[in-house]
Amino acid sequence: MQDFFHTFFDWSEIAGVLPSLLREGLRNTLLIAVLAIMFGLVVGVLLAVPLLSDNLLVRLPARVYVDVFRGLPAIVTVSLVGLGLPAAGIRPFGRSPLGYAVVAVGLISAAYCAEIFRAGIQAVPAGQMQAGRSLGMSHLTTMRLVIVPQGIRNVLPALTGQFIVDIKESSLVYLLGLGLGQRELYFIAQERQATSYNASALVAAGLCYLSITIPLTYLVNWMDRRMRHGPRAADVGVVDVRRESALAEEQA
Amino acid sequence: MTPAISVRGLRKAYGRNEVLRGVSFDVAPSEVLCVLGPSGSGKSTLLKCLNLLETPTSGSVVVGGVTLTDPKVDIDAARARIGMVFQHFNLFGHRTVLDNITLALRHVKRIDKAEAVEIARTQLARLGLGHLAGSRPANLSGGQQQRVAIARSLAMRPEVMLFDEVTSALDPELVKDVLAVMRELAGSGMTMVVVTHEVGFAREAADRVIFMDQGVVAEDGRAKDVLDAPTSPRFREFLSQVL
Repeated sequence: MQDFFHTFFDWSEIAGVLPSLLREGLRNTLLIAVLAIMFGLVVGVLLAVPLLSDNLLVRLPARVYVDVFRGLPAIVTVSLVGLGLPAAGIRPFGRSPLGYAVVAVGLISAAYCAEIFRAGIQAVPAGQMQAGRSLGMSHLTTMRLVIVPQGIRNVLPALTGQFIVDIKESSLVYLLGLGLGQRELYFIAQERQATSYNASALVAAGLCYLSITIPLTYLVNWMDRRMRHGPRAADVGVVDVRRESALAEEQA
Repeated sequence: MTPAISVRGLRKAYGRNEVLRGVSFDVAPSEVLCVLGPSGSGKSTLLKCLNLLETPTSGSVVVGGVTLTDPKVDIDAARARIGMVFQHFNLFGHRTVLDNITLALRHVKRIDKAEAVEIARTQLARLGLGHLAGSRPANLSGGQQQRVAIARSLAMRPEVMLFDEVTSALDPELVKDVLAVMRELAGSGMTMVVVTHEVGFAREAADRVIFMDQGVVAEDGRAKDVLDAPTSPRFREFLSQVL
């Protein structure tokens, strides 16, 4: 029991590794994750459009992309991009592994995001499109003003899940080998563990991951609730309703 | 007088399933036409062909002199002049009641915001819904939602109004509010095509009744005549079942 505690919760180990985790690791993890998430969102939207098409030929390339990148283990994709591309002479990011990690995690994220967007849009009842079209709005205008805003609400919880996966997958950059200043949370912890044979550094890194992912979950849940039920700062607010109700009652 | 709506040889098939099998009729300006018929008779499909929410397989639909079935026609511009109210209201759930009404005014008719709000408020007030302007559709009763949907259509100043079983999804006690609005609209001279199960409404508000059966018009005549003395056996049977 003493050993167990010492292996995972050695305070001097944790205190020793924490400064570089916070100063270097957290920054690089967030850098990879945020850029990969943005990459995934943008490419995901671009893929969701053809995924929603009625035309099989338009749909097919996007479908193949999604199936491939969802079907491959992340570690394979990261290796293919981060080790494969430079070996083939394609080095858009030079020797920095971070750029390749962003692209690899982003490519995977894009496949999942595309599916999330597609499902969210398709979950909006068909009657919404019919109502928009019956008022004379074009397909595109109805999409923009009616369907997509409602689809986004459907999609938020699933997207959070994807963001968390992206944050965790940023750790796979360790495969590519990182220099000083490039190291992210896992790499730092794993280096430390390899020299000390003590897992406390990994526990510390784990806590760092949780300090990002758990608040993120609750932040999005809060935003989700607000979007669904909360007041919206539109031109007409809740106050207006009360005032008008009061007026109506006075008149009655 | 040129008809407000003219339908000729309308056919609609989904794969091998022919839902409309050659439908022809005219609707005169200010006429209120009720379309009755059993489920699956094609009456809702017929209505959705009148603003091309469903694309007819063949035949022609002319509304206000514009041939909607002509592929060259600007269908969005044509639809802006044809109001439609749906069974399930289809209010935009993410928008307030007021925004629901101003949306098409601003983005189809290009009316500026202040004027669109003015039009919307006037329309809501006319239907006794002014106090709901800031509410979300989800917080309204079905009857209120349906009246907002009617207001949303009317705000566009349509030449004709299409009603697709608009009381079928409502609790019985809410039906009369919606029917009252429709009756008043009929009285104001609006051209209306009303797909409905409400034979009572057809009797008192309709000028004319069409009975659809298996994708064709089985009976067509003045409302009082055909409701009191139906000529086709299927219509007689239908009336005896709903009454």
